Amino acid sequence: MDHMSPIERWLRGIALTVVVLFFMFPIFWIVLMSLQTNETILRSPPSMVFEPTFGNYVAIIAGRLDSNVASMGIAFMDNLWNSILLSVGSVAVALLLGVPAAYAFARHKFRGSEEVAFTLLSFRFAPPLLVLLPLSLYFQQIGLANTYLGLIWVYQLICLPLILWIVRGYFEDISPDLEHAYRIAGHSWLSTFRRIALPLAGPGIAAAGLLAFIFAWNNFIFALVLASADKQPVTVGALAFVTASGIQYGQIAAAIVLSIAPTLALALYAQRYLVEGLSLGAVKG
Amino acid sequence: MPELRIEDLTKRFKGEAVLDGVSLTVEDGETLTLFGPSGAGKTVLLRCIAGAVDPEDGRILIGGEDMQDVAPEHRGIGMAFQNFALFPHMTAFDNIASPLTAQRRSRDAVREGVERVAKLLKIDHVLSHAPRALSNGQKQRTALARALAASPGLLLLDDPLRNVDAKLRFEMRLELPRLLADQGATVIYVTQDYKEAMALGDRIAVLSDGKIAQVGTPEEIYRRPASIEIARLFGDPTINLLDVVPEKDGAGVFARLSNQRVPLHGGLEAAVGRDCVLGLRPEALRFSANEDGIPVMIEAETPFNEKTVTLVVTARGREILISRPAGTPAPASGAAQIAADATDALLFDRATQARIVPDRDGGSTSEAAA
Amino acid sequence: MAAASDISIPRRRFAVSRRLLPYLLSLPALLVCIAILIPFFTAVYYSLQRFRLSQPWNRGMNWGENYLNFLTDPDFWNTLQVSLTYAFLTVGLELLLGLGIALLLKKRTRLNNFISIMLLMPLMTAPALAALMWKLMTNPNFGILSYFAAQLGFPDFRWGSSPDTALFTVVLVDIWVYTPFIMILLLAGLRSLPTQPFEAAALDGVPRFQQFWRITLPMLMPYILTASLFRLLDSIQQFDIIYAMTQGGPGDTLMVFQVEAYLNFFQSTNVGRSAALLMILWVITYFLSNIFIKNWLRLRERARGEV
Repeated sequence: MDHMSPIERWLRGIALTVVVLFFMFPIFWIVLMSLQTNETILRSPPSMVFEPTFGNYVAIIAGRLDSNVASMGIAFMDNLWNSILLSVGSVAVALLLGVPAAYAFARHKFRGSEEVAFTLLSFRFAPPLLVLLPLSLYFQQIGLANTYLGLIWVYQLICLPLILWIVRGYFEDISPDLEHAYRIAGHSWLSTFRRIALPLAGPGIAAAGLLAFIFAWNNFIFALVLASADKQPVTVGALAFVTASGIQYGQIAAAIVLSIAPTLALALYAQRYLVEGLSLGAVKG
Repeated sequence: MPELRIEDLTKRFKGEAVLDGVSLTVEDGETLTLFGPSGAGKTVLLRCIAGAVDPEDGRILIGGEDMQDVAPEHRGIGMAFQNFALFPHMTAFDNIASPLTAQRRSRDAVREGVERVAKLLKIDHVLSHAPRALSNGQKQRTALARALAASPGLLLLDDPLRNVDAKLRFEMRLELPRLLADQGATVIYVTQDYKEAMALGDRIAVLSDGKIAQVGTPEEIYRRPASIEIARLFGDPTINLLDVVPEKDGAGVFARLSNQRVPLHGGLEAAVGRDCVLGLRPEALRFSANEDGIPVMIEAETPFNEKTVTLVVTARGREILISRPAGTPAPASGAAQIAADATDALLFDRATQARIVPDRDGGSTSEAAA
Repeated sequence: MAAASDISIPRRRFAVSRRLLPYLLSLPALLVCIAILIPFFTAVYYSLQRFRLSQPWNRGMNWGENYLNFLTDPDFWNTLQVSLTYAFLTVGLELLLGLGIALLLKKRTRLNNFISIMLLMPLMTAPALAALMWKLMTNPNFGILSYFAAQLGFPDFRWGSSPDTALFTVVLVDIWVYTPFIMILLLAGLRSLPTQPFEAAALDGVPRFQQFWRITLPMLMPYILTASLFRLLDSIQQFDIIYAMTQGGPGDTLMVFQVEAYLNFFQSTNVGRSAALLMILWVITYFLSNIFIKNWLRLRERARGEV
């Protein structure tokens, strides 16, 4: 494979350039757009030459947009805050529930363990609305509708299978003898779990947590069904923002940039584990 | 130091019995080597004792106390694993210290305890290293040090020399008996190497197919193996096994090999006329100058350090190994004669595979598994 | 020296809890599991009912009527057709593209690794937000893609707002978001393939084109299968991109299952029909996911074995 003809090398280079352009351009363009005023955005033909401004970001962060026509409030920072709260909360709960369960599934083959693990997994692939629509009615009845608690609970639908299956794999990779050795040395079950199992599965738990965060952050449908405006994360909020502000394209772009920046940053940080996480532990990167 | 008693222990994996009614007693302060081919259930037995595996049936008593429902950490055991099982995220020091920290000893006491065993095992210079920075031999010593650190009353050593190279194994084999004696602990030492079993054990328990096949001193196991299998497992080169039907005449009981008499123990009269297997240790055979020896052809000679092993073939095509001390003169190649020491000949029942024990009164009984 | 072991150790403590421990540990996960199953069975129940939120007095069991109605309901057939078209179109194109890119990036050079990491960014973008980005790019007033289309001689190319090009537009967004998923899985697969068969083939003088068909592709099959099924399962339920881009429109051009069910529930408040639609989608995904999980487990086993 090492000897390529010059033509082949050229074709390869062109193909890669096209690929990179196609996949990178939208992000590049939205960032450019977010740094422009509406006037330069609406220029025709579009041009890369403009004076960058942070006005759009300032307006969003300040929560007010003052134009020469009118002044309007922007609640997008609330959406950002909701996203952080929901994602962090969901991951924390999923880790709290999922890590012990993953350990139990990895170490003790007990009756019904596989069934539970597979039920959780299979609902990862079931239509989310199937569970969401009845839940929305139940939530009305039991007062969980439009609460962070109710949303975080539903977010477990995506976070928990991810944590369970990835972390389980990491626990399975630890030789049981290490834990036996620590027990025999005189340590209790709990301290063995804390001092041996948890630290050794640590990288996996961290990776699964980061990925669960990304998936929770990127989720759209749960909050669309179950949350009203004041609890909505950025994914739903951005859509509402587009409808509400109509023509404030610069701010919309800035809002989108602010919304995707955290997951992109985390993904770059955790990229070593992405392959494994995306395939729920089926493929190692 | 506690006595260990195992009664009728049974463990199944997927319906198959890995341990099948194992009963065994290890005396207070004794070193028992648990010997058997791989897959015999040695490791499982050790894990049952340690509490890492729950047996289906039977009892384990340590110091007279039933260990059922006693968690591993409360059994007062030290254990060294075949694969070392060192905690990869801790230094050698912390590894060795783990049984001491479990007892909530003071920091100084822990340090003192670790340094004591580390010095004993000559690893005091690598205590700050992580396991992956240790050589195989150092890993093995660290694992051993960890097992010894808290001076446990019962020490379980699962083939600790299996994964180290030959030189280290030799060194440790010399060092271990003194080390274990100094500990004063009751020890079970698992091994697949019969020489190790014989060198280290006060007694040897032979485990085969999940059952205890024989328990005895090394001498007993070697001289009076309970079955053909055990006879074959102990000894290198392996014992010569020849199908015979013992006969009797005026001079006593004998077996016929190539029309030559091999005299047998007088107490084996009951075996006369039965299908038997004659077991002759290679060192119990010698080349004979007399014409009444068994005529054989010399096929090959293999010199070892301390002995020379010769492969010969009888007129009927049976292959026999003969061992003699190195340095003794070699017989001429080609045809030769061999003779056997009658007192060292073992006789087994071909059907039951059990050894036929000579009876002083002239009768004989098949020796049951001890 | 032996003093330490003479300390009497408290024994006989958690005889019972030892057996209960695994159950205790997984109890929370079990509860979540039940919390999923309850609404699921509720949905089954709803799907057998005449149930409109706007007409609570008219509620009652009608058993299979919701399902029977589908047979003669052109909207349902449209939904089925659009969903399947969307799913197979996206997965097929993403597979071809993903495999192509993975082959381009196979060699572990610094540049290739950098590119493969960069390509993850679309995948990490929330699909709903990705749809918004493309919506801006295809805006008729200032969208850069509309501008390009005009330059290429399509001044009236209306992207998501025309029934003729709406499917093309959302498929394009789906490809932008999810091709990296297939690419990264296949790249991991490609890089984990043993090298001996390739070396042997090179020695035997097998042309590279044939190497691909005879060695690479068959050995990569488990990865291709898992990645495609994974994507197919997601794609047939696509909601975010389509809803954020066109809300299923224009007209009913993009009324895929979940969008249709969502609108049925919240706009026409027809809970019974909505639930029945979702049940049919569930049956499809259930079969797919069974095949998927079998493949996935095999691949997972293999990945574990390599540790």
